[in-house]
Amino acid sequence: MRVLVIEDEPRLADNIARSLRESAGYAVDIAHDGQEGLFLAESSEYDVVLLDLMLPQMDGMQLLRRVRQGGQRTPVLVVTARDDKESVVALLNAGADDYLTKPFDLGELLARTKALIRRGKGQPSPVLSVGDLELNTVNRSVQRGGRPISLTAMEYRVLEYLAHRPRAVVSKTELLEHLYDYNWEKFSNVIEVYISGLRRKLDDGSARQLIHTLRGQGYILQDGQP
Amino acid sequence: MVRDLIKLGEIWKGSIKARLIAIVVLSQTLLAAGLLLTGIFYTHRRLLSTLDAGMQARAMSVAALVRYAEDASGNVYFDDTLMPSSLDPAHPDLFAVWTERSGLLTRSSSWPSGLDLPAAGRDHWNFKFAHVHYRGLRVFQVPVLDREEGKAFRPQSLTIVYAAPMHQLDEQVQQAGISIALSSLLLLGATVLLALWGIRRGLLPLQELAAQAGLVSTHNWELHLPDDAQQIKELRPLTQSMTTMLERLHHSFDQQREFMGNAAHELKTPVAVLKSTLQSLLQRPRASEEYRAGLEHSLEDLERLEQLLQWMLRLARAEQWAHGALRRDLQVIDITATCEEAVERIRHLAESRNATVHLSKNGPVLFRADPEDLQLVWINLLENAVRYGPEGGSVEVAVIRENAGPARIVFEDHGAGIALADLPHVFERFYRGDPSRTRSTGGFGLGLAIAKALVEAYGGTIAAESAAGKGTRMTVELPTGRESM
Repeated sequence: MRVLVIEDEPRLADNIARSLRESAGYAVDIAHDGQEGLFLAESSEYDVVLLDLMLPQMDGMQLLRRVRQGGQRTPVLVVTARDDKESVVALLNAGADDYLTKPFDLGELLARTKALIRRGKGQPSPVLSVGDLELNTVNRSVQRGGRPISLTAMEYRVLEYLAHRPRAVVSKTELLEHLYDYNWEKFSNVIEVYISGLRRKLDDGSARQLIHTLRGQGYILQDGQP
Repeated sequence: MVRDLIKLGEIWKGSIKARLIAIVVLSQTLLAAGLLLTGIFYTHRRLLSTLDAGMQARAMSVAALVRYAEDASGNVYFDDTLMPSSLDPAHPDLFAVWTERSGLLTRSSSWPSGLDLPAAGRDHWNFKFAHVHYRGLRVFQVPVLDREEGKAFRPQSLTIVYAAPMHQLDEQVQQAGISIALSSLLLLGATVLLALWGIRRGLLPLQELAAQAGLVSTHNWELHLPDDAQQIKELRPLTQSMTTMLERLHHSFDQQREFMGNAAHELKTPVAVLKSTLQSLLQRPRASEEYRAGLEHSLEDLERLEQLLQWMLRLARAEQWAHGALRRDLQVIDITATCEEAVERIRHLAESRNATVHLSKNGPVLFRADPEDLQLVWINLLENAVRYGPEGGSVEVAVIRENAGPARIVFEDHGAGIALADLPHVFERFYRGDPSRTRSTGGFGLGLAIAKALVEAYGGTIAAESAAGKGTRMTVELPTGRESM
């Protein structure tokens, strides 16, 4: 998963990014002002955007409206110091999906971010299942047919992304874009490595294959042949 | 008795109604007493003159009973067969007749022995006989009326004393007094009732006003003045001062609330930073260097938070002074000297930006103030000028005093200037024209607000002028000329 944090207070942005990387394994991009934020939000694929309202260059509300006018459907979580009803209503009406008031709890920020990602991909439950595969996004554990499977951090991230979009074809570029921050081009060859590692661990001792490769198109996570 | 009087005094002091009623009763009583006295006096005089006239007539009728003897001697006798009886048999009238020639001719049977007649010259007098007040009348030179033409003798003249009891007159006067007193009392009662009703009605607008004033609270500042209260001339000073007092209260309450809101809002971000730093530190076990770095960051953030609090306290204090809080620690100081000191203190910052600060002086300008306050104002203005001026730019400071006018202290930089939209707001607390710029320069958006509050605390004004791309000019005016006080 890839998250954009738009926050002008550098230390707060760093803390949020560190927490998202460490606790959820997400790739995080940081923008320190509204213009940079808008550019990144429009030019890259994000699974969720965390947006501060008081921003230099362009304030958060304006940015939100621009993003929504451009047809972007990425979930937006607004982090604001204002908690009066009027501004919350105005925020939600401008296209925000959720909001959090400062000072917030990092755990709550993580939980809300995860929930927004899930819902953005049509998955209401924090436990994703495909066939007899179960992926728990809260404690980041995976099991198949009741058997726990231990994955590396990157393998988990690939599987998590695929599990959020079961039965859909996910291209290598899409995977790269959502698993790495803006340097993703450098990692274009590593996806195959993670996919083969995942296949070995998931399908070990099981008759049914879960990850399928469509040559020239990408990967599908589903129970049985596509 | 004394206690009752004290209680009455308290009622008098404690109630407008009681005061008004007391005044009404007092004036009515005085009026009634005056009326009573005049009435009695007048009635007494009228009755007395009637009595006197009656007595005169009766004395004349007594004179008519004096006859000449049938001989030619010219002697007289009193014919008492025709004497009318007294009106009041219990207290009969008294009379006596003297002739010129032979003295006492006759007197009534009830004539008291030893009755002192007054000295000649007084015709009327009062005396007491048999426990009854009498009024006496003495008539001199009454000719004997029984005169026949052609008599040779010289006609005689008589002296007649006639006295009648006055108890009827006294009774009548008393009755008149009682009836006047009674009607006055009735009138007094009616007046008091009328006054009570009138006062209650008259005070009604005051009650309505009080009821409306009771509805005013911190959630509802609107005071609906009743029409009555607005129209009554006597209430107008009260309603006017209530309205202006409410406006002032509302204004300062709003200011306080706004300040609280602003402060809370400004504190949220640094607290969020601190909290997130500590929470992310605790999310997983870390190396001791990581903990150390996290703690150092937290400490830095805390210091910034502390600074913000200090600035906010400084502003709150300055605003309190600006709203007229009393200050005793003022001394006569030289404004130019405080400017020199401020320029000295800003030197380090100016050097770091290769900026030069030039101060043009015109001799000492005296002013009664706390030098620390003025320096704080100058430093805030200088910091802004140096920070927002160009790298290597110059800042001009001038202290000007023309004749008896106010002292003007002007700060001019040649930086980017303030955007026209921001210019009216630069003195508002926490206002930052461009958040990114102040964040990098470490401002809180309080410096100019503090400067304004301090200048206003000394009765001065501060104004900002700016031209985009040319620079900003800040002008402070202080009312000098009262230093000798």
